[in-house]
Amino acid sequence: MSTPKAEKDLHLPLSRVKTIMKSSPDVEAVGPEPLYLVTKVTELFVTDLAKRAFKNSKNNFLEYKHIAEVVQEDDTLDFLREIMPRKITVRQFKELMAKKAAKGDLSDDESSESSEEYSTDESSSGKEANDQE
Amino acid sequence: MAEKLEDLNLPLTVVTRIVKESLPDGVAISKEARTGLAKAASVFVLYVTSAATNIVKNKKRKALTGQDVLDAMRDIEFDRFVEPLGVAFEQYKQIASARKSGSGKKKEEGDDVEIIEDD
Repeated sequence: MSTPKAEKDLHLPLSRVKTIMKSSPDVEAVGPEPLYLVTKVTELFVTDLAKRAFKNSKNNFLEYKHIAEVVQEDDTLDFLREIMPRKITVRQFKELMAKKAAKGDLSDDESSESSEEYSTDESSSGKEANDQE
Repeated sequence: MAEKLEDLNLPLTVVTRIVKESLPDGVAISKEARTGLAKAASVFVLYVTSAATNIVKNKKRKALTGQDVLDAMRDIEFDRFVEPLGVAFEQYKQIASARKSGSGKKKEEGDDVEIIEDD
């Protein structure tokens, strides 16, 4: 009945994607072609991220931590690290610190790894504090 | 421009629908996971946009093209999306040119801008 339209296979609202694109300082106008492609690739991205996160999950239950895990392990997802920090409990944090203290300076590699996690966590609380302002 | 801050986020329900379609049936997704994926998608839009506009700037052009978006994928090391996106681009161009040549269906023209917000 209706004419086939490329936009039909999209889920995300083009108008919203356009608004987000235009919020970028260097973007003045967004033509239909780049708009279609950015929308399409964003859907590919969501599908890809969800599938990879799902591999980390158990019992058919996808949780935040499974996504954060993918983000922290894949360097091409570096742009998401600030908004998707690994969340740890206070107990885990204490264990981490205890482990770090016990290790001392035995292995540089591992201690720098845990300090990285520490800073990730810290940056998230810093961000929350900003958001509350 | 964006009048409300929410306008800079992709709708949660739509992102969740995409996620559900990509996972096996019966998978439960926590609320935090849903908002996280929606947020990630919104940030991804900006990330791709800025990569593509960088290409435009380097080439000293002004308008952003579809090819710039495609080329941006390699710059941000999302090579795995180049192929599926290229296929989608070809289909898009075919449909767009078919629409133009089909002079009998003029009413469809200019439709690409008016997309219904289903939220």
